[in-house]
Amino acid sequence: MTELVRPELVCPAGTPAALKSAVEAGADCVYVGFRDETNARNFPGLNFSRKELEEGIALAHDHGAKVLVAINTFPRAGRPDLWHQAVADSARLKADAVILADIGLLAHAAHHHPDLRLHLSVQAAASNPDSIRFYAERFGVKRVVLPRVLTVQEIATVNAAIAPVETEVFVFGGLCVMAEGRCALSSYATGQSPNMNGVCSPASHVRYEERAGGITSQLAGFTINKFGEGEPAGYPTLCKGRFIANGKTSYLFEEPTSLNTLAMLPELIKAGITAFKIEGRQRGRAYVAAVVQAFRQGVDAVMAGRPMPDIDLDRITEGGRQTTGAYERTWR
Amino acid sequence: MMASDMMEGQYRPGAKPMTPPFSPVLLLGLALKPLRPALLQPLFDAMLRVVRRQHPDILERLEAYGDRVVCIDPIDLPFAILLEPNPAEPRLTVRRFVDADEVHATIRGPLETLIALAEGKVDGDALFFSRQLVIEGDTEVVVALRNAIDGAGIDLIADLTSALGPFANPARRLADAALEAAHSVRSGIETLRQSLIAPAVQGAASRDARIAELEAEVKALRKASRRGHA
Amino acid sequence: MTHPAKLTLGPVLFNWRPEAFRDFYFRIADEACVDTVCVGEVVCSKRTPFLAPVLPEVIERLTSAGKEVVLSSLALIMTEREANEARQLATADAGFLVEANDISVASMLAGRPFVAGPLLNIYNEGTLAALEELGAVRTCLPAELPADILVTLAGAAKGEIEIQAFGRLPLAISARCYHARSRNLAKDGCQYVCAEDPDGMAVDTLDDEPFLAVNGTQTMSYHYLDLLHELPALRARGINRFRLWPQNVDMVAVAALYRAVLDGAVEPADAADQLAALCPRAEFSNGYVHGREGHLFVEADL
Repeated sequence: MTELVRPELVCPAGTPAALKSAVEAGADCVYVGFRDETNARNFPGLNFSRKELEEGIALAHDHGAKVLVAINTFPRAGRPDLWHQAVADSARLKADAVILADIGLLAHAAHHHPDLRLHLSVQAAASNPDSIRFYAERFGVKRVVLPRVLTVQEIATVNAAIAPVETEVFVFGGLCVMAEGRCALSSYATGQSPNMNGVCSPASHVRYEERAGGITSQLAGFTINKFGEGEPAGYPTLCKGRFIANGKTSYLFEEPTSLNTLAMLPELIKAGITAFKIEGRQRGRAYVAAVVQAFRQGVDAVMAGRPMPDIDLDRITEGGRQTTGAYERTWR
Repeated sequence: MMASDMMEGQYRPGAKPMTPPFSPVLLLGLALKPLRPALLQPLFDAMLRVVRRQHPDILERLEAYGDRVVCIDPIDLPFAILLEPNPAEPRLTVRRFVDADEVHATIRGPLETLIALAEGKVDGDALFFSRQLVIEGDTEVVVALRNAIDGAGIDLIADLTSALGPFANPARRLADAALEAAHSVRSGIETLRQSLIAPAVQGAASRDARIAELEAEVKALRKASRRGHA
Repeated sequence: MTHPAKLTLGPVLFNWRPEAFRDFYFRIADEACVDTVCVGEVVCSKRTPFLAPVLPEVIERLTSAGKEVVLSSLALIMTEREANEARQLATADAGFLVEANDISVASMLAGRPFVAGPLLNIYNEGTLAALEELGAVRTCLPAELPADILVTLAGAAKGEIEIQAFGRLPLAISARCYHARSRNLAKDGCQYVCAEDPDGMAVDTLDDEPFLAVNGTQTMSYHYLDLLHELPALRARGINRFRLWPQNVDMVAVAALYRAVLDGAVEPADAADQLAALCPRAEFSNGYVHGREGHLFVEADL
């Protein structure tokens, strides 16, 4: 039996407080973004100023944890300065890596900051070895965050094909149903997209209406869902809404559900993945602490050959539902 | 009515010290019950001063939403709190009646839930998913507020305690009473819920009834206002 | 306007039956006033075997008719089989340009001329330059870009810039098949139900408002893009090539309308009326090019 490689736990932080929570809960890496449209969680009141990043990096490094800066939207033509500055500041503040998605920005970073470690964001949706090699060979990308479209078996195949490039996969949190970075549903409805604005189904366009018998959630005037009394509600993310198609009302794309791979950790670790990523920079520090602790325990148990602890993350999952998503072929 | 009256039967002197798990939101919740809003206003003003001085990042995170008024409405209390997050001149106002037209957004839920949220002890998304929290109006400012408060990672009670020194009566008395109340509820939120809140949180039926009642009151008040009586 | 405007017919994105597919392209070859025609399966590799038998005759007919033929690649490549098929396409060297719709295909084409497809994320000059350095001689830009960015990129491009101008917009691609899911089927046993909707399956909101369309693993706009009104302004600002996405309507007539507006022979407003008559069930939008929500129809000059 080959020896298992201990995966890094890469944890989200939308604020300095969440970064502290993540580090204290056992994160190996924390990923963050600047407070602007250079990252794909450009949400109201969230993210880091330069000063906060500097302090966050110091705190994380004191605890032996790394800080990765996501600059994973696609720079606007004619105005790339904001993105270039974000890369330069990450390098200056000694971030351990930047997570990029745009080819032009990767080229810029590789040229101007040759010592800065580059990770490929999930938003680049590099779903096969040829794509990954392209980013590794042209821009020196060291790690790729795989899109949430592959099965565990496909991931293992990819891993073998692209070594020594590292892979990182999502193990928990909000699940993109579409190939990441290749979805314009949000801008179609709201004018704001993950790729251009760093938001999906933005809060500025969300309205909840409490009516007799339940809640209606709307996005830019489109009804995305209706929830009866007591039914678990969900944020009106477009792809998690209820729609009518073929004469039938259903969660056509995906149920309001969260990815949870705790039970699959042994399998994922065997697949030779370098890092496990937890989604949720927009969630509070209570979420960060709970999920990071759970996965810390899980990973440590597998590595020590102990049985998986029974951890219930029901309460913090969307709609109270969980899925193993694309990691199992039946999801497709 | 004296502020200390309301905690009758709960304050037990001599209990062992603890780290108070409750923020001023809770304290105010406790303190508010029998009082007219005007009497509580100085305490809110103090709380805001603390935030401005010690946690400027909260208002900084809300900078883009300074002109949006948020109504924080604990469904089990006869008051709501209006927040105007304008960084230059933030305001926190206790109000008995709130006109839907004067706020951009409302966060409505049991006091216990709102407190836990304000302290970053629970996940706001999870609360909403489980329907313990209702959000109406401008979701963006609500999300910003949630993120700003969560991101501060603060211990408001400690700050408030230290900030209350120069306070004159009656705010000081009120705050003292509230602090005592917090210290007394040492068995945690569950005790609090049982003793103060649970009876009022009986699901949608009672909430709807209360909303209807409030609407009627608001209407009456508006009428009065038009006649120049309010 | 020194360059004559060109029209590209995009690849059929839907699962049309092979005979319908063949007949469609034969008529395009014989009658449509388009300069370039893309063929190939973009959405789902499970459909490829059905098209393979008719593709050679389609390509032959188009070539004989003087059309430039472009071979479009799959958009989402996940399996080794899909990668191998893409590699065959990329290295066949059959004298046709290949349109890369996944970055892996662009990398396979490195060093040779190719088309950077509309499903690649090309949002800025840096990315455009990198792809042109790789060999892209033509770039079809993503759907969600506003006019100012389209124009900026057209100004920065060394090669040709193409923009989408008609039809349901490809908005997203997934590993999951929503057509199968809508019939309670798994993708592996999909029974090719996507063939039942030659224009895509309409997706309405709970308030019965038309919103999106599903085409197997692809999610599209419900609305048909209509840039007739914007064509003259976009041409004046340096964009000379426009893509029409095939719908199950008289595409020869649609192409003729776009050509007529580009030639200044028909007023855009009249053409829009005629377009509506050609697509009786369609609703139209043009929001993206105006920097707005994609589903909106904006009645304003660019």
